[in-house]
Amino acid sequence: MKSRRKFLKQSILGAGSMAMTPGLFAANPKGKAPKRFIFIHKGNGLLPNTLVPSTLKGVELEKEKRKEAFEVSLDDHELPEWMGALSEHKGEMTILQGLSGKMCTTGHHTWQSSLGAYKANERLSSIKWATVDFELAKLFPSSLEHIELACFPSGGGNSRGNINGIEKGFSARGPQQPNYAFGSPKVAIEELFKSVSGDRESKIQYQLERRLLEFAAMSEGAMAEELRGLEKAKVKNYSDSIESIRERNRKMDAMSDVIRKHAPRLDDKYFADDLNTVDRQIGHAEIALSTLISGMTNVVTLTADELGTIYTGVTDIEKESVNLHDVGHGKPVGKFEALEVREKVRRHHMSLIDRLVSRLKSVPEEGGTMFDNTMLLYFPDNGETHHSKGTEWPFIVMSGKNSQLDITGKYIRLPHYGKEGHKTLGNWYTSILNAYGNSIEHYGAIDTGLAHMNQKGAIESFLG
Amino acid sequence: MAILPPEIVGFLKRVTSSRCVLGTVIASVLSAEVSEAEELLENYCYSCHDEWEQKGGLQLDELGQMPLESRLDVLNKVQEQLYLGQMPPKKKKKQPTEAERSKMLSWVAAELKKHNASTLEGKLRYPNYGNHVSHEKLFNGEIVAKPYTQARRWLVSPQIFIERINAVFGLEGGARQRSFYGVTIPVILPDHSGVRYYDTTTLDGGHLLMMLTNADWISEKQLREARIKNGEVKSNEFPNPKDRWSPRKTPEAFEFIVTKKSPPTEAEMKAAIHTQYQCVLQRDANKSELERHLKLLKESILLAGNTEGLRQMLVSVLLKSEFMYRYEFGAGEVDGAGRMKLSPREASYAIAYALCDRNPDADLLKAAKEGRLNTKEDYRREVSRMLNDESSFAGPGAPEVSGKGLNSHKVSHPKINRFFREFFGYPNMTKVFKDTKRSGGFYSNAGRGTAGTSGHVIDEADKIVDHILRKDQNVFEQLLTTDEYFVYHTRPNEQTAAIIDRWREAYDVLKSEPWQEEPEQVSLKHELLLKQNLGLKVPQQKKGKGRHDNTLVRLMGYFESTFGRGSTPYTNPPWAHGFRHQYSEIYNLAPIPGSRGGDTGQKGWDFQVEQPFKIQNRKGILTHPAWLLAHSQNTETDPVRRGKWIREKLLAGYVPDVPITVDAQIPEDHHRTLRERLDEVTSPQECWKCHVHMNPLGLTFEMFDDFGRFRTAEALEHPENLVKAGNGKSSASVYKTKPLSISGVLEGTGDSTLDGKVKDAYDLIDRLAKSRRVRQSIIRHAFRYFMGRNELLSDSQTLIDAEIAYANNSGSFKSVIISLLTSDSFIYRKETQSSQ
Repeated sequence: MKSRRKFLKQSILGAGSMAMTPGLFAANPKGKAPKRFIFIHKGNGLLPNTLVPSTLKGVELEKEKRKEAFEVSLDDHELPEWMGALSEHKGEMTILQGLSGKMCTTGHHTWQSSLGAYKANERLSSIKWATVDFELAKLFPSSLEHIELACFPSGGGNSRGNINGIEKGFSARGPQQPNYAFGSPKVAIEELFKSVSGDRESKIQYQLERRLLEFAAMSEGAMAEELRGLEKAKVKNYSDSIESIRERNRKMDAMSDVIRKHAPRLDDKYFADDLNTVDRQIGHAEIALSTLISGMTNVVTLTADELGTIYTGVTDIEKESVNLHDVGHGKPVGKFEALEVREKVRRHHMSLIDRLVSRLKSVPEEGGTMFDNTMLLYFPDNGETHHSKGTEWPFIVMSGKNSQLDITGKYIRLPHYGKEGHKTLGNWYTSILNAYGNSIEHYGAIDTGLAHMNQKGAIESFLG
Repeated sequence: MAILPPEIVGFLKRVTSSRCVLGTVIASVLSAEVSEAEELLENYCYSCHDEWEQKGGLQLDELGQMPLESRLDVLNKVQEQLYLGQMPPKKKKKQPTEAERSKMLSWVAAELKKHNASTLEGKLRYPNYGNHVSHEKLFNGEIVAKPYTQARRWLVSPQIFIERINAVFGLEGGARQRSFYGVTIPVILPDHSGVRYYDTTTLDGGHLLMMLTNADWISEKQLREARIKNGEVKSNEFPNPKDRWSPRKTPEAFEFIVTKKSPPTEAEMKAAIHTQYQCVLQRDANKSELERHLKLLKESILLAGNTEGLRQMLVSVLLKSEFMYRYEFGAGEVDGAGRMKLSPREASYAIAYALCDRNPDADLLKAAKEGRLNTKEDYRREVSRMLNDESSFAGPGAPEVSGKGLNSHKVSHPKINRFFREFFGYPNMTKVFKDTKRSGGFYSNAGRGTAGTSGHVIDEADKIVDHILRKDQNVFEQLLTTDEYFVYHTRPNEQTAAIIDRWREAYDVLKSEPWQEEPEQVSLKHELLLKQNLGLKVPQQKKGKGRHDNTLVRLMGYFESTFGRGSTPYTNPPWAHGFRHQYSEIYNLAPIPGSRGGDTGQKGWDFQVEQPFKIQNRKGILTHPAWLLAHSQNTETDPVRRGKWIREKLLAGYVPDVPITVDAQIPEDHHRTLRERLDEVTSPQECWKCHVHMNPLGLTFEMFDDFGRFRTAEALEHPENLVKAGNGKSSASVYKTKPLSISGVLEGTGDSTLDGKVKDAYDLIDRLAKSRRVRQSIIRHAFRYFMGRNELLSDSQTLIDAEIAYANNSGSFKSVIISLLTSDSFIYRKETQSSQ
């Protein structure tokens, strides 16, 4: 017996909110290509000084040192060496510095904070609202709405018992509703692609689930039919929701040729339970690509690692089991200093981003490529360093030519924390949401330390 | 055609004939005659809402030309405004009489009913509309209608949901779990103060998504033991190493099928279906249910084998909406008022959930089975029995504050204490973020694994409530006016006293010894004393003593700074592991010596062995730091919200929501107090019409700062006003201050001896505690808590009886509960249009 099969409905299909009306899944708009978003977050902080172009000189360098606002074109500069994998995509890249995230939980573990811009912790009640990736998924609906893949931590404050399973993730579907993430490529493939699986057991499971839902829809639907008024609503919403899942399943069935065509074809090693972290990330990246390219989802969130993720398979130290927490405290691994280990980890992250961007660039779409309609964000889950305070929150953004934000090809440093014109994670996410059709006045909690400033709204200069 | 009262028909005719005001609307329901009602529109509405002027964008004289949808929308607005008495505006001198208002309302209601489009009825069911029912009519005895509750499905509460999962696994007593690894509670209650658990919520897609995952996990756990027996999994094999819990036994009927080497017979399958119905719904499947589940079970087993096929059936029962609802439809004979009593089974659940969140206990089930849950006396017997049972339903009073260094205290009936927690809303203190530096370091925010200072302070407020509930005398008045508080009360009084006695005895003996210079010799000399009184082993290890361990030198140093200065030491010394008692300043009590940085040489708080104890400058829950902080902003107090709370919760009053066009901000100005700034921004007439109901009440609490500390002047926190900078860890910055104004006005008790100017919060509280309206208002909220709905005028008798019960039993809240749970409102159900 496999575990947690029903999870499919909740996690990969689930954008349900408590206030949701019977139409559980939004309709997929026809015609124009949707926008896609990929969020990749990492643990242990992202050291701001490591993102500075090595060729920065003169006034700009001085401003950088003083953390004063400026921007330069990346065309005129060399990327830091560890970003080498992205050099081909420099024109589509943004290095964004100077945002703060003190309205988030910072430090070691941060749960949904970095995606929700609020102080999340292990209590579900701390999840204030849907994380930004889910808000974007609502703008660009798809059959699965949203997919979250994670290299779960096995130690620390928000560790997961089973890093290969399906567990509460780092995104949230709504207030007090954590999302569920796939911990391994194996479980993700089993769940996401079982409708096109050739495996007998998977086929049986698929059929069982279909029958169960049909049964539930019939029993509850029949009861609802006999009721009136409020009492009818009390049952009908529920039975309609079951029906919505069935309808979604039917749509997925109708897509089965496309899904089959784009289903990831991974080597056996990616299906191993003792997968190393680097391979786990590659496997997740392939699944992300398959689901985006096949149109199953338009938003993917990937936890590349978290502080409690025991890192294995890192280049040059493949045999080591790297404890990121120790690295955060400056402990060397083998012959490499902690900062060098951090760089190796980031270097691999860059190769993952290159894998994603390059592949999306190879898929034709509306006279261009799928990447034209894609935005990828790479950022730390806790801010500027290991014991972070959230005064800085660097981002690397990759965006295609149809991006709605005027930031591409630049190194941007915004005014430092507390200085006039300073911007927060909330302003940044508000900018993205505003640019893509959600007119929210402000997304994210308010930083009480910045009470003297107007913290609300988008970053106007980004909106073009 | 709708059947309308003659006066409305008249009105409609006149309207159509004279001004064609409502045009087709009216033409569709009448033919002739002129009504006085048109005059009502002419007299009271058109002056602001006609073709010349459209205040609020509303034009009533073109209603007839509007598309149906817009017309119904307008009519709904009109109905709501008329019903709530908000139109015509109060400032208009010319107001309709009650009879005139009633006529208009009848007409609008009839028109909306024609299209089944009235939204008012639905809205009035929600908590924020509770106070719109006339308080006077509820209590003046003029209503003679028989009380009832609408027949209903009532979504389970988060607490009941967890207990239902316990029931699925057959867990009782100590085996019951407070949470399950793989179960997400699909029900979320709102977090406003006041009663939150209403019967208005409907199951939706969000619930379904969570239930799918929950059902999957539960069904796997139900079958785990049987699968181990069958060799499918090993007993030490866990797909998720962190999720090792499972029930000890798989029900027999399931185990039989799992371990059977061939497909089960139909009889075996039926037994399994009934078993799962009993586990999940505590009843057998009926005939049609049995047939349908049997079909599914057969197909599933054929497809996937015994175990997985059976599991599908288990899930299918867990997904029934019935699992998420409480059913209260009534059964038996319909009485003259169209009501039916709850069936005995329904009654057993209603009583059990009212008092303890759990499914009915054995006695209730027995009473239901034996037909002894029919009369009021039957209800009284069971309710009294359960209320007098101090142990069976005991549990943590405040489970959500438990975490690092804090375990919620236990109470005999958590469900009852929860009423006052929700009513006062002080547990919301956890959700308010405070800047620790501003407190000078004594305040810690809720964080990972801990509810921080708020957890402790909430727990201390809970203890007061529980203390008063245990005495059960003048409960409401006591809650409002008590001057007895609990602070750092981590042990029963007698245990604390024994520790202090032992410590004092040891200190008296050892203080003249050279304990600081020669601790080893002193230890050896007084070996027995150290062991018996201080729990120290002799000889003391010189090395390897942790920073949290007690030593002779540490303890004696602590005693010197406490006993030595004429005060009593707190029984948890400040170096103890997980010491978090650094917040006594929140009560204006000095810190424990050594708890806030090193010992300052000052006399610390004289720890109170006997608790509760009197604290200066406090009066009841409304001056408890937990309530004050829960109703505060991040860096300031919140007089508006405090005033609103008093208006709505104690005076049964009503304050409209903030209009969406208003950006409710208090201007920044570091030369003025909050009151001065608030007065300025709320003084315009359009603001004051609402703020008059809040500010004069809430501003009296300005005698406390935003950390809940009593104060005599307001600090103007701004760098320009800095007098002395603090380090933020053991000292706070000191700023220039301005005198406070803490007077206010009480209006709305309906008692001329109480209404009027009040000089401060204490004066206000004293008057509130004497007010009959306050008592009635709390009873109205208790009604909502136990009935899960707003009171209707027809519940008048229930409320009057509850008030009498309170008064006749020396202010006993238990008596109020008994009265409510034996009332017609609780016992009778009636099918209304929306409840079938």
